[in-house]
Amino acid sequence: MRQIIFFLILLTSVVSVDLAFAQQPEQSISVSEVHGTDFDQDFDQDFDQDFDQDFDDDFMEEDSAQLISDPFETLNRGVFWFNDKVYSYLFKPVARAYRIVPRPARTSISNFFSNLSSPVRIVNSTLQFKFADAGRETTRFFVNSIVGLGGLVDAADRWGKIPKKDEDFGQTLGVYHVGQGPYLVLPFLGPSSLRDAGGLVADSFFDPLTVHLSRNWNFLERMELRAGRAINFLSLDDDSYEKIKRDSLDPYLFMRAGYAQHRVAKVAK
Amino acid sequence: MRLLFILLMLLGSPAFAAPSTPQDQVKQMVDGVFAVLNSDQSPEEKRIQISGTVQNFLGVRSLSQRTLGVYWKKGTEAELKQFMSLYVQILERTYLNRIEDYSGGKVEYVKQRIKANKAILDTKFVSSKFDIPVKYKLIENDGVWQIYDVLIEGVSLVRSYRSSYNEILRKEGFDGLLNKMEEKLVQMEKG
Repeated sequence: MRQIIFFLILLTSVVSVDLAFAQQPEQSISVSEVHGTDFDQDFDQDFDQDFDQDFDDDFMEEDSAQLISDPFETLNRGVFWFNDKVYSYLFKPVARAYRIVPRPARTSISNFFSNLSSPVRIVNSTLQFKFADAGRETTRFFVNSIVGLGGLVDAADRWGKIPKKDEDFGQTLGVYHVGQGPYLVLPFLGPSSLRDAGGLVADSFFDPLTVHLSRNWNFLERMELRAGRAINFLSLDDDSYEKIKRDSLDPYLFMRAGYAQHRVAKVAK
Repeated sequence: MRLLFILLMLLGSPAFAAPSTPQDQVKQMVDGVFAVLNSDQSPEEKRIQISGTVQNFLGVRSLSQRTLGVYWKKGTEAELKQFMSLYVQILERTYLNRIEDYSGGKVEYVKQRIKANKAILDTKFVSSKFDIPVKYKLIENDGVWQIYDVLIEGVSLVRSYRSSYNEILRKEGFDGLLNKMEEKLVQMEKG
């Protein structure tokens, strides 16, 4: 049995390393082909473009435009208010009490759920043609499921130095040049956009946990599990929402700006 | 012995003679802040020391100008002055209140790009819990590189503040914004 497991790990890691390397030489070849003898000049040009792009917010006139459109602001603010109350008076107090459970145990629970949702990341990496990432996520899934005791330990990150890379269908759409669309604040879930909310629905079809539960558990049981997962997550968080609320003039606006930029950065990665 | 001395001089001198680069500048600030963070002073003492250190490295004017965007040209000199003073205090409070969150880590310098009087420095904050990419944008004023924006995981400090401040400016004008900032400061100081 042990030999079989070892062989599996070896196989998956070889496959993913293969994929990772298969990608790199390809890229470097194409770079030198494109640039040819004028490599330095082209490199400078690339650099300039890259640099100017990073400085694009210096065109101040244009950039006073909003980061994300918000035609439903009134409604969004209503949901934001609702979430704030649910968070402050229900979820957060429970999460705080739940912190008596030792941190490593809570981290393990969070790892377990994260490992279960690996297929979402594998599918989306593939859809974005990031095959090396898909390979790495596949390796992570096998390594963590087998060595990491069913996903409780993120062994791939800890000992294999293969960190998790978040990919979801919202990002996939972004890679396909679909804009974020209007900003949406979802009940319980918080900041989102039309694109990303749609992505969430699409991703649920690739999430083994969601698929399995929707067949075998009733609605109430599923909600309980989701709440439990949220509370476990919140217990690990260092009051980041409270800090934003304390420090910003208008938390709604600040979170909207943060969300929009965060998603753009994720799509680019 | 003398040879060794000359060698040392030769090796050492370029570092002294070279004008400071954006990276040197950020490194100097980061090292200063880390020295305070890693010392065993009380959080309150740390706050005071860090506040003095960081301000020297910020281009407050450039930072404020970019935060206000188009509204920079619309404000009177007095309004802009008051804005700059309040803005720096708010930023300070925001970041100094988080000193207690720090639990070790180091900064890696990844890449530095300079073009004319502007520079982008990519760094990475590495700790046992996570790696966070941090990007600094600098501008050269009178031969000194000053920080005017920080991007943490792609989220720009200037953009985030601009987006919310511009909305308030649009609805309530400078008076409304400055009042709100003052109120916030009082609230923040109370804890």
